[in-house]
Amino acid sequence: MSEVHQPSSRTVQLIGRVSAICLFVFAIAYGIGGSVIEYAFASDPLGPRVFPVALAVALGLLSVWYWFSPGFAEGFPTGPLLLRVLAVPVLMLIAVMLFEPAGFAASIFVLTLGTAILFGAPPAKALAGSIGHAALWWFVFSYLLEVYLPAGALFG
Amino acid sequence: MNLEYLWQGFAVALTWQNLLIGLVGCFIGTMVGALPAIGPINGIALLLPIAYTMGLPAESTMILLAAIYCGAEYGGRISSILLNVPGDAGAVMTALDGYPMAKQGRAGEALALSGLASFVGGMFGSIGLALFAPLLAGLAIGFGPAEYFVLMVFAFATLGSMVGSQPVKTLIGCVLGLMLATVGLDATSGAYRFTFNEPELGDGIEFVVLVIGLFSISEALIILEHQGRGMTVIRELGRMTARMSDVVKSAGTTVRSSIIGFVVGVLPGTGASVSSAVSYTTAKRISDTEGTFGKGDVRGLAAPEAANNATACGAFVPMLTLGVPGSGTTAVMLGALMLYNIQPGPMLLVERPEIVGGLVASLFVGNLILLALNLPLVQIFARVLTVPNWLLVPGILVLSIVGVYSAHSSVFSIYLMMGIGMTGWLLRKAGFDMAPIILGFVLGRVMEVNLRNALAISGGEISILFSSTICIVLWCMAVLVALLPIYLSRRAKRRAMKLAAAE
Repeated sequence: MSEVHQPSSRTVQLIGRVSAICLFVFAIAYGIGGSVIEYAFASDPLGPRVFPVALAVALGLLSVWYWFSPGFAEGFPTGPLLLRVLAVPVLMLIAVMLFEPAGFAASIFVLTLGTAILFGAPPAKALAGSIGHAALWWFVFSYLLEVYLPAGALFG
Repeated sequence: MNLEYLWQGFAVALTWQNLLIGLVGCFIGTMVGALPAIGPINGIALLLPIAYTMGLPAESTMILLAAIYCGAEYGGRISSILLNVPGDAGAVMTALDGYPMAKQGRAGEALALSGLASFVGGMFGSIGLALFAPLLAGLAIGFGPAEYFVLMVFAFATLGSMVGSQPVKTLIGCVLGLMLATVGLDATSGAYRFTFNEPELGDGIEFVVLVIGLFSISEALIILEHQGRGMTVIRELGRMTARMSDVVKSAGTTVRSSIIGFVVGVLPGTGASVSSAVSYTTAKRISDTEGTFGKGDVRGLAAPEAANNATACGAFVPMLTLGVPGSGTTAVMLGALMLYNIQPGPMLLVERPEIVGGLVASLFVGNLILLALNLPLVQIFARVLTVPNWLLVPGILVLSIVGVYSAHSSVFSIYLMMGIGMTGWLLRKAGFDMAPIILGFVLGRVMEVNLRNALAISGGEISILFSSTICIVLWCMAVLVALLPIYLSRRAKRRAMKLAAAE
């Protein structure tokens, strides 16, 4: 059964070391990016490059410390739970892609319906909840707060 | 001592609009605090763009956010006592004695007594803030760019050594925040940094996008992971007032913890989690002669509650006077002030006394409102615990998307927020705290500008960073604070070895 569990010290060490490597690589990339910043002139002795490069060095050193001292970490979900967790950003992505063409109400309906089901709501309740969410937030933002929200092809 | 700003502040806080805003903020804050895992930072992160788009003036926005912050510190105790699940980090210690009291059928008493302790802590903190803010601002008025730069180094050193048990991760978080702050147009040289030719990154990463991504989106994913963990709400609240004998018994602890909470709050970078732990352990060491702590002792309940509310007020002192946040939540509020193009610091009290005074006065008013709300309406707040996640989390996601969109009318911002949210989730799983990233981001630009200004003044001589007495004192304090955990852990090891040898 896939669950979030307290990982073993070996797993924690692995998570820490993989994270440390990622951070180290990021520090190098950021440092290289910082050292090639183009500018015409600088009115101060430091210029726009030194601070980012110094930060890259700091992150590089800290990631080495982190490699040797990974501390604790929470276990990553696996199996179906991981799929459910990853489904949330996918649903958000779909909702954002629909946001302007289909409109606020339709995209929020899709997002809230999908998320409610992921959180284990019975279909009828999920449907009622998502209709309620779409209507409530449309009313709050469009009418009460007068925020511009795209109406989309359905209501536009 | 000049407390004129406070009278001006009461005039601001007592207008009917700001009273209403304070009342709404206290109510929302208590509900946010009562919900397990949705702490004050998440609540403020979600409501910040709404407050911004409502077109509220800066002082009203600060009053709203401060009310939510204090309300959340009050509300955090409700789920700790009734669920044994802390509403926020500051309420972790509350569960130790609050939940056993609830299991003994004294949930109502625990809620009432902790409400009173919260009120005392909040009032102590507000008085401390009113008294110490002008003092510290007066001291900081002599700060130049070099002193400011070293002050920020001190803030990061404090954070690295006092927050959490993993200083390396806290420091990495700070550096990541500083890195994020370098994105966008460099005002001094006019160079674009890390924008990848994306025009929407020209002004840098928007604060709202970062804070909502890091806190709300990653929180939604964490809640989904923890879904289904057995939680039982205690519904039998029993008597809803505190016994006079318990009030008297816990009075000394409450006052002492309020002072501890305020002092810890003033230290840059620390927060309610630290103060509640320190006050609880102090109370236990001093008062637990019969071994009742952890089994429903009223002093163990009062200590963290008084401390975390005093901390919330104390955290405003460095934020308002030095421009350095005292906690993760005040880091978010500092960012909110910057959205209004207001730079917090010692001159804020001189230039915008209505903001500082209004905020301080609203804390006094807010504490009274919170006491009035929390004692009779606690049953209503307790019902918030029964809102199912399938209804709550979609609402958080909608608020996140609309909050970012309404602030910038840009779909790119939503994509960026999602990317940051996923990264935040990965970092949280690896054991990183999000508050240092926010602190680094908020202080990043100011830190770099002050460093560059200091070096411009000195003609590139780095010795300017060690030239004044304030700089030297701050460097010494930073080194001391950084070395303190090493000393403490060695002392603990020595004690453990001595004990083992004695056995």
